[in-house]
Amino acid sequence: MFLTRSEYDRGVNTFSPEGRLFQVEYAIEAIKLGSTTVGVCTPEGVVLAVEKRVQSPLLEASSIEKIMEIDSHLGCAMSGLIADARTMIDHARVTSQNHAFTYDEKIKVESVTQAVCDLALRFGESVHDEDAMMSRPFGVALLIAGVDEKGPQLFHTDPSGTFVRYDAKAVGSGSEAAQSELQDKWHKQMTLKEAHILTLRVLKQVMEEKLDQHNVQLAQVTSDKGFEILDEVRLKALIDDM
Amino acid sequence: MPDGSFSHPQQRSFNPYTENGGTILAIAGADFTVIAGDTRQSEGYSIQTRYAPKVFRLTDRAVLAVNGFAADGNMFVKKVKQRLEWYRHAHAKDMPLRAIARLIQTMLYAQRFFPYYVYNILGGIEEDGTGAVYSFDPVGSYEREACRAAGAAQSLVQPFLDNQIYFKNQQAAPGQSHPLHLPLSDVLSIVIDSFTSATERHIEVGDGLEMYVVLAKGRSAQGLEGGRGVQELTTRTDGDRVFVIRRELKKD
Repeated sequence: MFLTRSEYDRGVNTFSPEGRLFQVEYAIEAIKLGSTTVGVCTPEGVVLAVEKRVQSPLLEASSIEKIMEIDSHLGCAMSGLIADARTMIDHARVTSQNHAFTYDEKIKVESVTQAVCDLALRFGESVHDEDAMMSRPFGVALLIAGVDEKGPQLFHTDPSGTFVRYDAKAVGSGSEAAQSELQDKWHKQMTLKEAHILTLRVLKQVMEEKLDQHNVQLAQVTSDKGFEILDEVRLKALIDDM
Repeated sequence: MPDGSFSHPQQRSFNPYTENGGTILAIAGADFTVIAGDTRQSEGYSIQTRYAPKVFRLTDRAVLAVNGFAADGNMFVKKVKQRLEWYRHAHAKDMPLRAIARLIQTMLYAQRFFPYYVYNILGGIEEDGTGAVYSFDPVGSYEREACRAAGAAQSLVQPFLDNQIYFKNQQAAPGQSHPLHLPLSDVLSIVIDSFTSATERHIEVGDGLEMYVVLAKGRSAQGLEGGRGVQELTTRTDGDRVFVIRRELKKD
């Protein structure tokens, strides 16, 4: 039998002898094919920015949605298989609404991130009497931004269900260059405006097309105004200020 | 039927509820709350026990008083405490008072068609450091108030509170206004008077009195520490603090 890899990358929930889950690792690889997504945390709030790949001049750029609202104080940017993210965001929205309903308070950013990650490893063959699970891991990474009693926070989740908090994080195809640029330029006392400019500069560096208000999307979460996606007019003004 | 059971109407019934008497009461101050209850548990004319607590500490800043059907009350408190522990594990913090109030509503309303036969009064310190009282009906309607009495002697105690706390039917002296909040010593006196009076006039109230005092963070415990029958339940002195004061009531 011809075995280049091994037979352990077949079953979605089978460990290899080296203790690896190949399908999960491949899912993490899938994200590196996605468009670049950047998140920056500041004391004033969190900024999320994504590159929209407008592959055709006939494509309606505004129909590409890669930043979504979870709740009025929570936003999310994604990279990878966007369709998978919809399942996760739907779960996050329901979790957040249920929390507000039951406890009359806004859910914490970490709690909603944990809730999303609880879904990540529910793939594989379903066991007797159980509901059918998902057939494969999620192929998407999320940057979850929000403001709660602990202030502005940014979390990164991957298909293994691991989540980590970051001051600034880049995911997707240009993530390596973007991340090192963030490491150079990010500082503790950044203003929101500086964060807007930083995310746009980082995206500009890694994008193949020339950056304009049509091929990027920018959103922010602040304590007083909550989650908002910046419209093209505000985006244009920021790009002119770069 | 051979036994003639259809010859005349018959009615059978099953009543799962009992009323176990007793009274509870809570008053909010500017930066403290007092939550109190007597300890008698009765059924009809007989006393089942002279010491059955109706007031329970939930967190360092929340105390719950439960009155009505004792079995339901005990089960309800047990379930609330369980939910508080789950919340602590999930969110790495104690549940805030207004979140507990909303949780109690959802838990009560979940039993809308077989209710817990209990009247709840939740007292404690809000996130902003103010004293707060929340009162509930058995299916979850709730409201934040400055004071509330419930239970067997509600009809005796609430009008007294309306007069002493809300200053109803009292005219302020010319050029003066009624205070919004009373000091702790005055509140404790009103609570003790309420229960001694209720004990005199209501057969289901008496035996013992438990008063829980929740103090907001940073408020001095002057006049409380070292007092007669005072016991501190919290171990840290740098946050909100909970004390309990136990007194005897007449046993006849």
